[in-house]
Amino acid sequence: MNADRSLSRKSSSVDAEGVRSYRYADYIRNSGDLYISYNDLAPVIQYDADGHPLPYRPPALRLRLPEAARLLQPYASVRFVDQVSAVAPLAIYLALFQILILRQLVQDAWLVTAGMFAVIVGLMLFLEGLKIGLMPFGTAIGEQLPRKLALPLVLIITLMLGIGVTFAEPAIGALKMAGQIVSVERAPYLYALLNQWSDALVLVVGISVGLAAVIGTMRFLYGWSLKPLIFFSLIIAFVPTLYMAADPQLASVLGLAWDTGAVTTGPVTVPLVLALGVGISAAAGKGSGGLSGFGIVTLASLFPVAGVLFLALYVASVQSPAEIVEAARQSAALANMGVSAWYASSPGIEIMSGVRAILPLVIFLFLVLSFILRERLANQAEIFLGIGLTIAGICIFNLGLTYGLSMLGNSAGNLVPSAFMKIDDIVISPIYSYGIGLLLALVFAWFLGFGATIAEPALTALGMTAEELTNGIFKKKTLVMAVSTGVACGIALGLAKLIFDLSLVWLLAGSYAVAAILTLISSEAFVNVAWDSAGVTTGPVTVPLVLAMGLGFGNATEAIEGFGILCLASVGPIITVLISGLWSSYKSRLEAAQVNDQAQNLSILESAKGIS
Amino acid sequence: MKNSNITYFTDVVLITCVVAHGRGDEAIKAAQEAGVTGAIVYHARGSGVRERLGLLGIAVEVEKDVITAIAATSQRDLVMYSLYTKLGLDRPGAGVVYAMPLNKMATYIPADMRERLQTKVL
Repeated sequence: MNADRSLSRKSSSVDAEGVRSYRYADYIRNSGDLYISYNDLAPVIQYDADGHPLPYRPPALRLRLPEAARLLQPYASVRFVDQVSAVAPLAIYLALFQILILRQLVQDAWLVTAGMFAVIVGLMLFLEGLKIGLMPFGTAIGEQLPRKLALPLVLIITLMLGIGVTFAEPAIGALKMAGQIVSVERAPYLYALLNQWSDALVLVVGISVGLAAVIGTMRFLYGWSLKPLIFFSLIIAFVPTLYMAADPQLASVLGLAWDTGAVTTGPVTVPLVLALGVGISAAAGKGSGGLSGFGIVTLASLFPVAGVLFLALYVASVQSPAEIVEAARQSAALANMGVSAWYASSPGIEIMSGVRAILPLVIFLFLVLSFILRERLANQAEIFLGIGLTIAGICIFNLGLTYGLSMLGNSAGNLVPSAFMKIDDIVISPIYSYGIGLLLALVFAWFLGFGATIAEPALTALGMTAEELTNGIFKKKTLVMAVSTGVACGIALGLAKLIFDLSLVWLLAGSYAVAAILTLISSEAFVNVAWDSAGVTTGPVTVPLVLAMGLGFGNATEAIEGFGILCLASVGPIITVLISGLWSSYKSRLEAAQVNDQAQNLSILESAKGIS
Repeated sequence: MKNSNITYFTDVVLITCVVAHGRGDEAIKAAQEAGVTGAIVYHARGSGVRERLGLLGIAVEVEKDVITAIAATSQRDLVMYSLYTKLGLDRPGAGVVYAMPLNKMATYIPADMRERLQTKVL
């Protein structure tokens, strides 16, 4: 570089003849620091024939390898530490609980550790890729689409985007993985939905999310209240639920259906769908309301329930349980017979599913941008890098899901019952007396939920929004505590459901009835925050862990299926947030009344003084 | 203007430090530990190096925190040194720190400090 040639020590000055001179005293005194004239670095500007300066174009900077490493090191380490702090406490908690309370070593400890590492690296790459690769599409489309197209077309694209983001959601992979643990004889329809029909399942969930996005966006546009929408979606979710609860074959699907709601609202869906929804209402000049942005998450976690239930009814009308068992046996025989293709076995299957999850969404966004908006994004190379990172991230995350999260969750689920009941594999079980062991298992579940939620970054963001929305009545800390308590109680309740074989329908009906009543008497702002908090909390680490734990637990306690924990973990925070919202508005009203009283007393006193 | 009774400080510099968004508090801590009373953080958007680095540019945050702090001239070098080393400005793309001379500065001066300063002046 230019500067290397003219390294000059302190205060070089240029005299009238252009001779550079240096003071020797400065050289001695400042031998630690270098002073370089910035003039030496300034580029030489070219002039055209008329003496006008030509625009200067800076050349690309080339960094040497060690320099590039120094540039990337803080960038990567910040993001790595972020994910470590999200994943590590949970993993350590699970491992310590197994070792200290259940006195069992973690099986395949090295494989699980490597898997957790893959989860951390995968999430890091995925989220960063999402930020630099997919988000620019989302904001560009969200800002411009509503201005260039008529509303019905925009809503159709919103619907299709809902499908695309659902496929790209990392936690969806956990659902498919859960299908491998389900026993086909005992829950044939559940098995069918998660195996032969798994793509249809994701598609239906995607369509439901898309519909939720459309209705949520229309809500922004026309300023509808969220309350009637909630009641409406509860009705369409509960009618098939109650119908199917009567049929023992179909009832096994209910847990899955209600859990999908929690699975869908993750790190891809929420920001992309929100960007479009908020963009549409902003283009219509209605984006300024404080509540814009809320509601889509709520609907996106309720609609899929109905969608999955209707799909199950359809499957039931096409296939009988016996046919499903037969088909499963055939496909198992087929898998055992020949050498399966590379993409049908691990790690090929994880990579394939990763690519299949992201590419359709990317292609869809790209087509919308280039053919409908006729736009080109700046920094194409950066966006391709981002997409590459997203795909690499989700592949690594899927690998970590198989070997880390699912394994750890499953083994924890398998082992926890040994605290209070006899498990075949564990000689010393039951480790504790029934009462103490049961209490330990429930306390374990409670703290798992609490710890997983309180660290969720999305929750802190929601807390700040809530504080602004309610003019500080609802403190950020209150919300975080309320949601964490709600999730914790929900997970503990879910575990209790598996242990005592409680009926999920009545648990759900009861808790949603409470939530509905609280909704009726709460103010609009609290309703928006409370129902959205349910979807926000279940991130890509919590969902697979809790799913796998529930399934393992279900296997060990010989429950028919281990689903249903997540949905109870979603309804829990709705209730706790609504209650704490009512409580804090009651308190603030009380305080206001007191202040009024005091003011009145004061004025009475003063007027009394005036008279005397 | 004549009897405005304002006590002006001289020998003050303004030290400005530009770092990636989110590191503002870190910078303030470094400055305060070097003896600066207070600092302001602005949220800003930078450009320049990021575009010229190609794909490596993703490591340079577009969103910036700009921290400005007033310091005595005698503090200048230490504050700049602290900011430079504690924020790792010797790394490519990490940020920049600069100092500017200020003509004069006035603010509230606590009573006991005013007394101490006046005895010193007299």
